[in-house]
This record gives sequence, structure tokens and C-alpha cells, in this order.
Amino acid sequence: MDRRQFLRLAGSVAAGAGVAACSPLYRQLSGLPDPAQAWPSLSLSDFRGLSRLTYGPLPAERTQVLQIGLAAWIEEQLSPAGIQDEGVEWRLRPLDALRLGAGSLSSWEAEDVILQLQQGALLRQVYSRRQLLERMVEFWTDHFNITVRKGDGWFLKPTDDRQVIRAHALGDFGELLWASAHSPAMLVYLDNQANLKEAPNENYARELLELHTLGVEGGYTQQDVMELARCFTGWTVKRHFWAGQFRFDDDLHDPGGKHPLGLQIRPEGQREAERVLQHLAQHPATALRLARKLVRRFVTEQEDQSAVALAERAVHALRKTNGSIAGMLRVVLLDGLTGARPIWGPKLKRPVDVVASALRLLRAETDGGEALQQALQAMGQPPFQWPTPDGPPDDSQFWSTNLLPRWNFAIGLARNEMKGTRLDLPALLGPLAPPDPQAALDSLGELLLGAPLELAQRDLLLAALGEGAGQDPAGLPSLVTAGLLASPAYQWH
Amino acid sequence: MRFAAERREFFQVLCQCPQHMQAAHYARRSWPAWMPRLAFAPARRGVRGDVLVVVFLRGAADGLNMVVPHGEPTYYTNRPTLAIPRPDDHKAPGTSRAVDLEGFFGLHPAMAPLLPAWQEGHLAVVHACGAPDDSRSHFKAMELMERGLADLGGPATGWINRHLATLDTGNTSPLRAIGFGEAAPRSLRGVIPVSALRSIAEFHLGGEPEIAGMLKGCLAGLYSGDDLLAGIGRETLRILETVEQLDPQGYRPESGQPAYAASDFGAALRQVAMLVRAEVGLEVAAIDLGGWDTHFAQGASDGLMAGLLADLAGGLSALHADLAGSLSRLTVVVMTEFGRRVQENASLGTDHGHGSLMLLMGGNVEGGKVHGSWPGLSQGQLFGPGDLAVTTDYREVLAEVCRKRLNNPAADQIFPGFTPGRAGFVR
Repeated sequence: MDRRQFLRLAGSVAAGAGVAACSPLYRQLSGLPDPAQAWPSLSLSDFRGLSRLTYGPLPAERTQVLQIGLAAWIEEQLSPAGIQDEGVEWRLRPLDALRLGAGSLSSWEAEDVILQLQQGALLRQVYSRRQLLERMVEFWTDHFNITVRKGDGWFLKPTDDRQVIRAHALGDFGELLWASAHSPAMLVYLDNQANLKEAPNENYARELLELHTLGVEGGYTQQDVMELARCFTGWTVKRHFWAGQFRFDDDLHDPGGKHPLGLQIRPEGQREAERVLQHLAQHPATALRLARKLVRRFVTEQEDQSAVALAERAVHALRKTNGSIAGMLRVVLLDGLTGARPIWGPKLKRPVDVVASALRLLRAETDGGEALQQALQAMGQPPFQWPTPDGPPDDSQFWSTNLLPRWNFAIGLARNEMKGTRLDLPALLGPLAPPDPQAALDSLGELLLGAPLELAQRDLLLAALGEGAGQDPAGLPSLVTAGLLASPAYQWH
Repeated sequence: MRFAAERREFFQVLCQCPQHMQAAHYARRSWPAWMPRLAFAPARRGVRGDVLVVVFLRGAADGLNMVVPHGEPTYYTNRPTLAIPRPDDHKAPGTSRAVDLEGFFGLHPAMAPLLPAWQEGHLAVVHACGAPDDSRSHFKAMELMERGLADLGGPATGWINRHLATLDTGNTSPLRAIGFGEAAPRSLRGVIPVSALRSIAEFHLGGEPEIAGMLKGCLAGLYSGDDLLAGIGRETLRILETVEQLDPQGYRPESGQPAYAASDFGAALRQVAMLVRAEVGLEVAAIDLGGWDTHFAQGASDGLMAGLLADLAGGLSALHADLAGSLSRLTVVVMTEFGRRVQENASLGTDHGHGSLMLLMGGNVEGGKVHGSWPGLSQGQLFGPGDLAVTTDYREVLAEVCRKRLNNPAADQIFPGFTPGRAGFVR
């Protein structure tokens, strides 16, 4: 491909040609595998592990795990910079909100910014090859939750997403915490721009202790919250020129000495809270809280002995690697999901998993746009809109609720009724469908559930499948797909 | 292999495949066992009581600006910009003043739509009410309150679900307990299946009727196992069937006027009224109303909180008018996790406090009255860093509602470790 062709193609991608542009060249450029590419079957434990670490394992990932093993695959994913990922960048090109600063975005329509931010997240989950990075971006987005529906959050969050969450998702926890504390989106979300020396506003200080670091049982008191809030007085956000930039305003800062968490903090302006941030980042209660959350997210929700022991090993790893998130995660994943005795426990897919893994596994062409965002909303997890600072729960029981929105998503997707998203089921099933329904059903079961249906059950289905194919060969694959996506088995990973 | 039968049959076969085969298939995936299965005393058989509507104001609502202690001078010294003017403050515009209730307390002007309910004796206030927990953490406080506990060691189920689990009313409706929203609130979680739904009008399966019917049959088969999700799937299908017989689009309020606001809260209450009148077995509805964490720019008679109060009061007054004929079997409880500091902060807002209030509405509440003993707002009367003290444990109110209005005397199981004492909130 010469430069001229390349630019023309780039232009068509940038123009949002998206769904229409399904040429093989486009696929090649945008990182989308050929739908007809076969998917090798994996052992149940590898499929489970891979389903937890990706938004649905693609054939290439399955093949790679077959070749090098899950542990080596995890190692590779822990260093995302080494994984080429231009394809997803091409898909993100039309989304200017992902690149612009708060000052520019503040003159946009709020809904446009929010939609692009949501599209960006979903497109990365579906198309990025750095799947573990995207999983960790999701983890930290929840941990340092900010809703775009409060105040200026809608034009501040894209910068937070880029410079706080994505920049540090597999980096150093101290730097991540530091970046979050200096993030205008966070300061505005938790009212710290209104934290003044005459009357401190405790909101950010409290959530920093309760949610971002020590945890509610982390051994701090109301007095600590108030002292820490005083340290953060004057941490605010610029207005007018340089709108949306961090600013420390000494005139608003409480000049007295402070004693949060047993520390003696001498008056030194912005540095005071930064000292406490360093203390919090290295605090054992913080490490334990993070380790438990990671085990819960990636390994199991059971808090039994082996899970507790795993979290303790992860705490140790964080300390040994001087706060490396990848260092801690490595222990959680390798000890929890690989080896002779993985302690994997089932989790109900959260709405974002339901949507992203269906799109990815079925290799949909999608713009990540409004139809999908509405489906996520109906299921209860519209991205970047969880109102309270605890973030959307990581709790299977919480999401075990009325299944209708999940079923309707399955039907809409499988029948190609979602605007901006297309499945090519005939291509996906390739030479198998529809004349050979047995192979098609087995294949889709393997693809979506990690294993074909039980033999006896499959045989029962096949009789009807084969017969149904005579009636409406074209419609059959979509109904089978809808049924599998709506099944109980698909709701777990 | 034959190639002749109808596609429909494929799905029938899919649905009818024997349960043991499905179980074998799913067993490999090792179903979770986290669903709480607590050993309860066998549920007592009892007669169904009122429909209970629980409105949870999430974020810690400022009770002091909802039902204003205008007879308390320190309220005004603590809140130079946020105070609601006295009912007789002629320097303030009439529409900004508190609406007097009984000489000492007054309603925020945005809550004036509730005055008729108050005057008819259908609305009661329990002031300085709250929980013993003083963590001032939203999440811990909500968790404790929704589980009805004093510490996190107790049962993992919610208090409303424990009420349902300990009283067998013979009601098998899938709409026995509903949470409005995407997920059921914590208070509804537990062994008794409950439903979370956003909108009854939108509750139908996609696709053309023929396809939807086919898939419904297919889903009935897929969800015929005995695991957690299968139970939820079957409940979802049962709700679909029940809702198909309602006509949510065609529902008109009794008063003949569409008095419910177009807000989520108004829509939820409108649907509660519809379900009550359709007599489809609704016993409990839980509705969340968020946005009360007013650290910043709370506003006084106008502004952020006034808007929330208008939504709250407008919705409740519409429900009161709409269900005028059914008030004798309706009890509405409005609660929040804690209150806010007495002294306003410099951001024209208020920080986390302690005591707040509860509202009760219905035909059998001891209405037209502010219940609870008032602890005062002066130095020495405040709690912790300057908060309204709690003089009535919220469980006093709920336990009496359960006993008298829901016919459930099992307070020891609904609120373990708590012994109800004072009462007189409902008849």
C-alpha cells in the first residue's frame, strides 16, 4: 500500500465510514480479524482465565495461549507497550474528544463529549490487542470513579481518563494516586474546589481515605478526615484562562499545622497533602485493599482462605516492587488463574462484559455508538455515569437482577437491529453454515461459551436445527446466536 | 437427519430438553453458591398488610432544610446563607419562607405540595431520626441501614427481604416486591425473589411478536435449572407475562390529572399507583432518589436541593391524590442514610452529619405531627463535630410499620439485635 492509498483509507476511517467499510484492507488496518478465521478450542481453565483477562478471547489469543500457555500470555500483556495496537488507534481517530484538553472541550456540546468518551472505551475493549491493559483501565476507572453527570465533569473526565487512568493503569500506584489527586475532574467531582480554609469541605478527603486508599475499616477517624481536608484546602481548578487546569491557591489554603493519621504536617502549602498522599500510597491498609479488589475482580468473589492468602501474597509483591501495579497484578493472575491449582471462581458478567464480549467474540463491526450505550444503560452500567464515588459494584449478586435488558441486547445484536453495529454471521460460520447446522451449533457454543453443548442436548437440538434450516436458512444462525447470548451460561465468566 | 419440521420446533426442543442434561452442562461451569441462604424460622402465615413504598434519599439528605426548625435561633446563626426564612419573616419573599406546620417546624417551600396530606393527617415527620452508626461514610451507612443492622456482622440480606421471608402471605406474584431502577437496592436483597425494573411500559421482549414468542419459549427452557440465575430468569419471564396483561400506556391517574412529573421518581410512583390499582400482588416497592450529597451549592429556598425537594414532594403529593381511595392500605416511608452538619460550609453547602429525618405517608400514619424529641442545635446539644443528634433510631419506625401495617411481628429477625421501644408513628 503506498502512502496515497494509506491516507485515502485513513480519511475514510476518520470520516466515520466505520460499519460500511468492511473491506479486507480495512480489517487488516483496524485490527479486526477475518470473521471466517477458525477458533481453536481451549481447556476449560484456559478459557476461563482468558475470558476474565480479555473482553472475550479472539482466535489469535486462543491460538497464542495454546502455543505459549496462559502464564506467558499474561506476561506479554503485563507490558502493553510491547504489543502493537495501531488498529484500534485507527478506529479511535474520529473521536476528537479523546485527544482534546478541557479548555477546548468546554465549548462542545456535553452530550457529544460524553458519547465519544463512551465510544472510545467500548471500542478499545472490543478492538484493542492490549486486553489486560483495558481490563485494568476499567478497574481503575471504577476505583477512582468520576461521573460525567456532575458539574464540569463532562469536559474534565476525558483528560482524567487519558492522563490519570490510562497513563498509569499498569504503572506505579503512587503515581496513579498522585495523578488522581491532582486531577481537576476528581477535585471537582468530590467538591475540593470548594474546600477552603475558613470551612473545609471534607468530601474529597473522606473518599480518598475510604475508597481510594485505606478503606472504611482502615483505621482512620473523623478527626483524620477533617485534618486531611485542611491539608487539601486550596487544591482547586483554574477558571477562565486555562480553564480546567489544576491550581493550588495559597490564599484559600489553611496555613496552620495539621495532624492527619498520626502525621505531623508542617505548614508548606501544596506539599502538605502530597506528603499524606505518599504516606497513603505506601500504607499497608491501602495495599491490602487493592490486593483484595484485584483478587475479587480477576480471580474469585469467594473470600475463603486461599483468596485471602493470595491477597496477602499480592500485598507482599506490591511492597517488593515498590508500588508496581503490574508487579502486584502478576502475582494475582499467575497464582490465581494459572498453574496446577488455580483458585478461579465464577463471576456474573457485568453489563460491560456482556456487551463487549458479544461484540468481540462475534467479531462485530461497530462504532460503539448510541444503540450500544443505550443497551448498557438499560442493563445498569452506562460508562462514566455511576453517580457515587464507590463506582459500579464488582459483585455478581448485585448484577443478578431482571434479565430482560440482557435478553433484548442478545436479540437486537444477533438480528442486526442495533444501529451502528453489524454481525456477519454467515461469514463467521464460514463454510459451516447453514448447510451443516451441527457444526454451526457446536462452533457457536465453543465460541461463546468455551465448550460445545452437551452431547445429548446437542443431538436434541440438531434434529430441529437441521429441519429448521429447510425453512429459513438465512434466519437460523441469528436465532441460534440470540439464544446462546441470552442463555444463563453466557452470563458467566 | 430430517430437514422438514418448523423452526419453531427447534426452539421447543431446545426448551424441553431434560433438566438433568442442562444441569450436567452447567455443573461443569461450577455454579456459584454465594446466594445467601439463611436459615430462617419457617415463615409465619399472615394476612397481607399495606403496600409499603420505601423511598431512599441517597447521599444523606439535609433534614434540617426539609423540615425546618424555624423556632430554633441557632439554626439561623449556623446557616447564614442556607437557612430557610421563618414563616413570619416579612423581609423575605413569601415564596421563600418555610411553610409552618405547628409553630416550631416548617416545610421547605418546595415541599408545600405536601401540605394537603399533612392537613388531612396522612403525613408525619420523625425528626432527629437516624442510625447509631457515626462513620459518616455514605456506603457504610447505607449498607447498615438497608440491612437493618447496627454493625456489619449481621445477616447479609436486606431488611425488606427479611420481612418478606418471615411473613408468608400466600402471595406468589412475581411483582410482590419491586425495586425501581436497574438493580434492586440492598434492602430488597435476600432469599425471596424480588424484581428490579426501570419501567413497566418498556418491559417487553424485542423482535416481532412471532420471534419474541419463540424466544420466550426458548428462554423458558434455558432457564429451567435450579441455579441462581435460572430462578431470576424464570421471574423475569413471569413478570413479562403479568405485564402483558397490564396496559401501562393507557394508565390514567384517579384524579384525572397527569400530576406525576416526568422525572424518574414521578414515573416510578405513577407505576406504583398503577400496580396498586391493578391488584397484581404488589407488597413492597423500593425507589431511590439520588443527588442529596450537597457539599457544594446546596441552595436555600431555591437551587439544587430545592429542585430535589420539588421532585420528592411533587411525586408524593401526586401519589397521595391518585391513591386517595386506597390510602388505608398504603404506607410510604422516606428515609436517608444520615443528615448533614448544622453549620454550613464555605462552599454554600453542608458536610456529612448525623441525625436527619423520616417521612411517613398513608391512611394510617399518626399524621399532622412531628414525632421524636428535639435535641436542639446549641453547643452541648450537638453530636460529634457539630451534628444534629439522633433521638429516634430509624428501626423504631420501621419495626412499628412492619408490626402494625404489614402484620409482621418478627422484628427480632427483621432487625436482629434491636429491641423496639417507643412507638406511636402509625396506627
